[in-house]
Amino acid sequence: MDNTLITKELNSISRRDFFKKTASVSAVAAAAIMAPSTVLADDENIMHHTKWGTTLGDELNKFPYGVPSKYEHNVVRRTSSLMSSAGDMHAAVSMCPLHEIQGIIVPNGLHFTRTHNGVAHIDPNKYRLMIHGLVDKPIVLTLDELKKYPSESRIHFLECPSNGAGEWKGPQFNSLQFVKGMMSASEWTGVRLKTILDELGLKPTAKWMLAEGSDGSEMGRSVPIDKVLDDAMIVWGQNGEALRPEQGYPVRLFLPGWEANLCVKWLKRLEFSDKPWYAKEETSKYTVLTASGKAIQHFYALEVNSIITSPCPEKPWDDLIVGELVEIEGIAWSGHGTITNVDLSFDGGKNWIEANLKGLVLPKAWTKFSYMYKYEGKPLLLSSRAVDDSKNVQPTVNQEKAIIGVEGVYHRNSICTWSVNEKGEVNNVQLRS
Amino acid sequence: MYNLDRKLMTTGIALVLSSSLLYGGFFGGDDKSVVPGTYVSTMGAVDGGVIYPRKDGVTGPYRYNEQSTAGINHGRVPTANEIKAWDMDIMPDGTGLPEGEGSVDEGDELYEAQCASCHGEFGAGGRGYPTLTGGNQEKLPNGVIKTLTNQRTVPGLDAPKRTIGTYWPKASTLIWYIRDAMPYAHPKSLTNNEIYAMTAYLLANNNITIDGETMEGDYVLNREKFLKIKMPNEDGFYPNIDGPDGAENVRKFFSDRAKNIGAGTRCMKDCKDPGMDNKEATVMIIGNEITDVVPGYTTDRDLPPEMDDGVVSKAEKMYNESCKLCHATDQMGAPAVGDVAAWRKVTEKGFEKVVLNAIDGIGGMPPKGGFENYTNSDVKTIVEFMIESSKEIH
Repeated sequence: MDNTLITKELNSISRRDFFKKTASVSAVAAAAIMAPSTVLADDENIMHHTKWGTTLGDELNKFPYGVPSKYEHNVVRRTSSLMSSAGDMHAAVSMCPLHEIQGIIVPNGLHFTRTHNGVAHIDPNKYRLMIHGLVDKPIVLTLDELKKYPSESRIHFLECPSNGAGEWKGPQFNSLQFVKGMMSASEWTGVRLKTILDELGLKPTAKWMLAEGSDGSEMGRSVPIDKVLDDAMIVWGQNGEALRPEQGYPVRLFLPGWEANLCVKWLKRLEFSDKPWYAKEETSKYTVLTASGKAIQHFYALEVNSIITSPCPEKPWDDLIVGELVEIEGIAWSGHGTITNVDLSFDGGKNWIEANLKGLVLPKAWTKFSYMYKYEGKPLLLSSRAVDDSKNVQPTVNQEKAIIGVEGVYHRNSICTWSVNEKGEVNNVQLRS
Repeated sequence: MYNLDRKLMTTGIALVLSSSLLYGGFFGGDDKSVVPGTYVSTMGAVDGGVIYPRKDGVTGPYRYNEQSTAGINHGRVPTANEIKAWDMDIMPDGTGLPEGEGSVDEGDELYEAQCASCHGEFGAGGRGYPTLTGGNQEKLPNGVIKTLTNQRTVPGLDAPKRTIGTYWPKASTLIWYIRDAMPYAHPKSLTNNEIYAMTAYLLANNNITIDGETMEGDYVLNREKFLKIKMPNEDGFYPNIDGPDGAENVRKFFSDRAKNIGAGTRCMKDCKDPGMDNKEATVMIIGNEITDVVPGYTTDRDLPPEMDDGVVSKAEKMYNESCKLCHATDQMGAPAVGDVAAWRKVTEKGFEKVVLNAIDGIGGMPPKGGFENYTNSDVKTIVEFMIESSKEIH
């Protein structure tokens, strides 16, 4: 029997249907021994007219604001009471379903969310932004006035520095969504902060800026003036529409590449001073305690990082046939600059080959990588390692642990590894000692 | 739903499997570690990263409008009163610190009424919300708080305790946060005297002394005394951000990331990765998998279960805004909504009694759960909703 021909024919029906029909018989064996007539029952989905092809569809204006197909209802943010106080979802975090995200932009409804006192709902007509302190001319702006400034749009990731914080001591979650889902990426639109400050006149003594939110937690963070004058933005647009309430509607600070916590939501006030403020979220939290007993403070940028998104625990290789070509896909990002390379290892970090970058390669943005792999049905330890143009290479778990220890909580960017077993199932593991 | 290899997922401490990966030395250096980027980039950002210069209408991959924006004159100058109304931050040097006073005992009373239900008795935590007190402040000869060097490298060791007394570098952070953000469900409701009292209480319970004086119950904290506070872990943070060189210190620190925050090396062949005590790296699998996720894991593409038009009742709305803070789980000592057994026990007293208890307060729960604006009828509706939501589903 011509196996090539059978394989070709097999490709014409759903892989999963094939597995259902052949039950526990292995795919290779099935292809070799079963007569095509047994396997290739005519596909009902082809042989019969569909319901949607024989009836009128919805009226086009059924949803003035569109919603995803109802079949996509499981593609949602997920939470865990572990990432909250006593299950209270006002001060908690929800994780982006990275295994379902296509490309380098996350739909606004799936953007990860972290709040410290619930999601504030601001009346845009009552919104005010005040800029004062060490400026020649303090101002207060309404939302409409703010939006009159010339806008710029930038594609950037946004990541909570706690992304992966649960795994300093070892793997905990068997899910891409929970291993790395405390981040998302969008096209952000707003005004460059420097454009406003050029007009207000920053005094030479101004070294720090306080950004303060208007939610119940009055989120405050100190930002060094260098960043303020480089690429800091005040944004009101996200992927073509207004910011979502969870992302700070109507206005948030955006500091490309820096801790999402610094990108203060529901932005109310910017004050300039010669000193930093020592706000709660830059002292008691968002400081990285090292094994020395001292903590790194003002740890701004998210370091070079990467993760394989396919396969992953949610998207295993349990439907692959040995010899089949499959794409390994993932995302790399760096708050320090632009991704230049991503390497892949199949043997737990002993040997590495370079993957291909694909699509847009932008600074401080998600960058997709891709590698075509011939599936062998053998166990693998699959890792990715990113490099950026600020001369950063993603560290191994051991390399990061050697500097930080295991109690740092924030800024964990060591190499992630999926263990793929002979059945193609994927599990989260760590290579460490 | 995807399949996990349950046979490998033994519970207990994290297991170390396969030692097929033999490592014995450090990664070798590799010239490939620096690969030119797509764009002309300048190192030297304050975070140690790259600066993409803006020149001739181009920055990195983006174009921008390089016309001058000089002369833009949007908005207006705020009034002095407006600035005063919003400029409520409090800095370590006392900028923004209000006049006022409050005693440890007064703080105790406030704390019991408004804070203990979340932060535990005396700030000791245990209810899921941040622990505010406790931890050993004893220092090593180098000035570092000893217990902050705790590293849970294997299960069973003590965690470093990051409380106000052992960790927070400045007291101004505490009084500022209390004024702006606490109590959690009613932020900005305390007077200046009350924020001094609350701060005094929390500092006293963290064994903070001011000018050598222990903070007893009748100790009254005011602005003058506040400015003399020195926190035990004030020197526990780096790089130094204070003074005119603050930002430069940060830049210097992050320019040597391999040394200061950890970095990898780009080895491609026969790479070694030794860890602690030069022991070889092994594969650590998940020990205790966390599966408590909402909604549960699934990648199915099917139709959603029937929904009642997505309408949320007024009772549920009120419940979500108030009672859920404590009743979402049983970690606060309150019966968790959805816990059939717990609510069966509650309702044994009879519906009327449950409603009356909710109105008057019971155990750790203040009258109406602290939401005094709710009418008795509101409370009744909410209790009904909570009981309905905690019935066995047949």
